Amino acid sequence: MKNLMKILFLIIVAIFVAGCLESKKTPQVSEPINLVKMSGQEMIQRLGTGEIAGFIMWEPYPAIAVTKGYGKNLIFSGKIWTDHPCCVVAYDDDWYKKTNNSDEILKRMALVQLKSVEYINNAKQSDSPDHEQLINYTMQFGGMTDQVAANLSLADVEFVYNTNVTATTTFIQRIQDFGIFDMTKWNMSGYKNSSDYANSLVTNNYVEWAVNNKDENSSKIALKEPVNIRYAYLVNDIHELPFYVGWQKGYYRDLGINIVIAEGAPFQNGAFEMQQGFKGNTVDVGSLGIPPVIIHRINSNDFSNNDTKVGVIAGMNNEGSVIVVANNVTSMKDLQGKTVGFPGQGTIQHVLFLMEADKEGLKVSY
Amino acid sequence: MKFETGKRGLLINILSLIVFTLVWQILVILARNDIFNIPFIRLRDIPTPVETWYALVGSMFTRIYGPSFTYGIINHVYASLVRVIEGGIIAFIIGVPVGIGVGYSKFLGNLFNPIIEIIRNMPPMAWIPLSIFIFVSGGSIFIVFIGVVFPIILNTIQGVRSTDTRLIDAAKTLGASESMIVKKVVIPSALPSIMTGLRIGLGVGWMAIVAAEMVIKSPVGLGYFIWNMGDLGRYSEMVAGMIVIGVIGYIMNISILLLQRRFINWVD
Repeated sequence: MKNLMKILFLIIVAIFVAGCLESKKTPQVSEPINLVKMSGQEMIQRLGTGEIAGFIMWEPYPAIAVTKGYGKNLIFSGKIWTDHPCCVVAYDDDWYKKTNNSDEILKRMALVQLKSVEYINNAKQSDSPDHEQLINYTMQFGGMTDQVAANLSLADVEFVYNTNVTATTTFIQRIQDFGIFDMTKWNMSGYKNSSDYANSLVTNNYVEWAVNNKDENSSKIALKEPVNIRYAYLVNDIHELPFYVGWQKGYYRDLGINIVIAEGAPFQNGAFEMQQGFKGNTVDVGSLGIPPVIIHRINSNDFSNNDTKVGVIAGMNNEGSVIVVANNVTSMKDLQGKTVGFPGQGTIQHVLFLMEADKEGLKVSY
Repeated sequence: MKFETGKRGLLINILSLIVFTLVWQILVILARNDIFNIPFIRLRDIPTPVETWYALVGSMFTRIYGPSFTYGIINHVYASLVRVIEGGIIAFIIGVPVGIGVGYSKFLGNLFNPIIEIIRNMPPMAWIPLSIFIFVSGGSIFIVFIGVVFPIILNTIQGVRSTDTRLIDAAKTLGASESMIVKKVVIPSALPSIMTGLRIGLGVGWMAIVAAEMVIKSPVGLGYFIWNMGDLGRYSEMVAGMIVIGVIGYIMNISILLLQRRFINWVD
């Protein structure tokens, strides 16, 4: 027994020494930027107190931080990748299979998306009669009290309803490059490559139907029997404003869809929505970033019953995330060795930040 | 209760680990093949011991994929251990004198007891939300401190109070001053109890650090690693991290026990 103890003691010493050596060794590779997970509210607060050198986050948090004077915009995500897809509308495959008229429902969900996006894009113009109402929606959904911040947060978000298979393929490829997929799971999935996976994930049929029927009278194309849809979304995410607009303006109701907020929603991030909502079968349709969809349909999926299988039917927005930094930071290089807030692993902001660091030859630890 | 010792005991220990691992493997395989399921638990999603082993080996050291720099488990263990040791040292420096004072002097006992009794009943986890806001950095060390300090204080008090009064009387008869009595009689007599407090405290601190790292922001640490892997749906790595936490906690406990037996062998 004493010998066993000695062996155990030696193991702990060995780990300690190895850890010491590893920790000393790592910065020499090139001082990485430390990404640390935190909530949007915390990012603003910690940037204000100088505890972090910056953050990458979805709107409205960047707009709020800038309006408060805590920092400045360093890079808009559109600069990292022009027109990159961001949030999307996805459905749960289990729900799809067990619902008789799921295709009909999804067509109408896509149509609401189209109508809401058109409304927002018109109302975004400051001379539009709907502008004030849109700002109110933005403040309500984004949890904001400041009109200036609300206006600012809308400026860099490009609201869209169409999906983009090519861009999705690129995303999948980058996620693969960054070592985020669980390779055992990826091999189980049977997808030949990123394009094969993107084609299986994204479908354009519903948006096409919506485009063809956008001028039809709602009462004519509404579902005959109204259905309840358990919908999930992300907390205070301005990217998902089309959902809020469609809900508040009664677009869903007009087409026979009764929105019921899913258990656990709004979720803190897309990973939670995938792991708890879609996998747990508590969500029928939801909006979230496309990277969590891509990652968790592989990593969190049980391939014997495909419990985390989801399909993407429409876009929500392109771009709309920002790297915000403290006022004394002028480039990504200045962030080396410093702490930067992000909403979590596998989020769109995580992937975008890695892409930007890659461009500049920087390392990011997380 | 008497435990088996020697080779036979060791054999039973090893056997129990093997059986546990086998049962784990079999249960998950059965669930994955729809042969056996426990209601309300997604048993099939738990990684098998084999998958966990591969994940552990694969994530032991720092990996670099393009710009992404993923710290290895070794780095996480080191970061967490450093925090526990720092928190432990601070707790020891503060806890032992407080314990001796409160245990030895009735006045100090009456003065501090109510405060100690109230604060010690607040679990370390309950301090996390507060420490996020009051500490610019080092919040997780504070959480460890809270976990370690009370077992040390309480065990020191107990050790001091159980000092044989005959020894104190004998020292007094021989003309020892109060400070000499504390130094030469009380502390040596209380030392085994203090060490027990340290051992229990570090156990609590180790458990608390993992919770603290899940909330308090730091890019390295085992708690952070588990949380992150969970976020990515990398469940095998997550479970590997959990097992590492358990093993390190066990090794820590055994090491202190070993030190205690080796160096403080005057009290049974």
